[in-house]
Amino acid sequence: MAGRLHPLLTFAFGALILLFSGGPVLLSLYGSLVPDKVLLSPDKSLFTEGPNFDTYRYVFTGQLPDSYNAEGTNRAMISDAARQVPQALVNSSLNALAAMVLNLILGAPAAFVFARYIFPGKKVSFLYLILSPLVPAVALVTPIYMMLQAMNLVGTQLGIILVHTAKALPFTVLILSVFFRKIPAEIFEAAVLDHCDRFQTFWRVAVPLALPSIGATGLFAFMLSYSEFMFAMILSGSSETRPASVVMAALARNTDVSWSLLNTAIFIAIVPTLVLVILVWRFVVEGLLSGAVKG
Amino acid sequence: MWTINRYPGAWLLPALLPVILLTVYPIGHALWTSLHEVMILFPGEPFVGLKNYQRVIVGDYFGVALRNSLVFTLIAAPSVVVFGTLIALFLQKRFFGSQVLRSVVLLPWVLPGAISAVLWVWVFHPSFGFLNGLMIDLGVIDTPIGWLTNPRTALGAVIVAHVWTQIPFAVVLMMAALSTINGETLEAAAIDCRSAWKRFRYVILPEIKSMIVVLLVYNALTAFTSYDIVYAMTGGGPGTATTLLSFQIWRESFSMYDFGAGSAVAFIVVLISAMLIVAITRALPSDLFAGE
Repeated sequence: MAGRLHPLLTFAFGALILLFSGGPVLLSLYGSLVPDKVLLSPDKSLFTEGPNFDTYRYVFTGQLPDSYNAEGTNRAMISDAARQVPQALVNSSLNALAAMVLNLILGAPAAFVFARYIFPGKKVSFLYLILSPLVPAVALVTPIYMMLQAMNLVGTQLGIILVHTAKALPFTVLILSVFFRKIPAEIFEAAVLDHCDRFQTFWRVAVPLALPSIGATGLFAFMLSYSEFMFAMILSGSSETRPASVVMAALARNTDVSWSLLNTAIFIAIVPTLVLVILVWRFVVEGLLSGAVKG
Repeated sequence: MWTINRYPGAWLLPALLPVILLTVYPIGHALWTSLHEVMILFPGEPFVGLKNYQRVIVGDYFGVALRNSLVFTLIAAPSVVVFGTLIALFLQKRFFGSQVLRSVVLLPWVLPGAISAVLWVWVFHPSFGFLNGLMIDLGVIDTPIGWLTNPRTALGAVIVAHVWTQIPFAVVLMMAALSTINGETLEAAAIDCRSAWKRFRYVILPEIKSMIVVLLVYNALTAFTSYDIVYAMTGGGPGTATTLLSFQIWRESFSMYDFGAGSAVAFIVVLISAMLIVAITRALPSDLFAGE
């Protein structure tokens, strides 16, 4: 990008972004490393007490933190839900990955046709896609539940994947068609001159050129599924198939659970997802910066 | 644009069918419910026409919930797009730590809504909240402010939390859109035009306009229909300060068991969000919806 900022201004703006985006998460990391007693007392802090990994040990091994075995402590502050976090992360990632792949496979061809062709019924189909997410999901929970029950999909990963895919698809198509429109028409004309049929133009020209943008869109579908709560809650069955958003909400809404344990669960839930998202995003950014896609 | 004479079903139906499957019947069912008296406690579901709508609109909460929802949406959606665009423009530059910053910006995205709410409750907490501690240390205030318990600040606080959760997505898409701009165009602009603002206004903005419209539409929709963060942070209070229309759908249906009224609120929300979307696409004409 053209234009240079004063280094000091760059630093200030960067620090502001760091504080705003990362601040609350840093607070959570801090909270996970000290027991509640230290967290709530004004004169003790991480720096006087040193980090404490008891709650992390509890989540992975089930061994109770020492501070909860002391006499007179409230056992309700420990919740079994925290121990479900690792399994829930696996479930969530599988759901989200499936929703992402399905979104790209089903959505990209439609986005391509919407972006480059005029055909009968185009306006109706496009408007349907754009207007369908208008209806608030809360109003559709009951009928969708009944429908999936009739299809025997309640309590299965497949039901959640289906709902999440359908929820993200309108936006996937909309976003991808913006990117497909950006590719210069001359490139497609050249493809036609080289006797590419419509599928070859799509698969060999449009998709490789828009690959980083497709990655960004896939990330959107992934995250939409990963963080969706309402349908995940009503459609998930036993604790083995419960996704992270449901387990985390159960922890967050249980006001008895200790802050320290809750923050540990939050932090364990963040790290693998963040690594995954950064890897995809790196690929996207590097693809974008390499200049291969610039039209 | 090329023309196809036949409906390209093989290309479109894979995307349309799942969406149709999960919308036609559920929306029809919700519409039917909104026109009938559907209460779990009373048997029979008699047709009542628009009485549910009438009852909801004259109800006590409707005016204040509508006002809160509109304020929430009109502040949150443009903020997400403006801050998202600014951060994306900024992150395109290379500087020391820019790689780290690009990753940190994504952090709010990997948290489920319930967790974001917990983190922000902690930031705004009156007695051991981070914000109060910071402001007292800096000498801005003397006594802690109950951000979420004071009716004057509660709506603002939940808007900040909501914007926080939505910014990463805007940044990702905006960076992707910015990078599709032709590099030679930018070089030419850098030679012809010394003012950075004019370069943005006349060279960059036209190129990312359709993405801005997409993001605005998406965010207006998200802000107007989501309630989970607000509900988890304040439960609609204090009083009615953060009561949102979208939350009333849930309350009517699942805590009052008045499904007819809940669906009626849902369709009022649909109507208003449709008007918002039309307003956005009218105010910012782009080639997105034209060319058909």
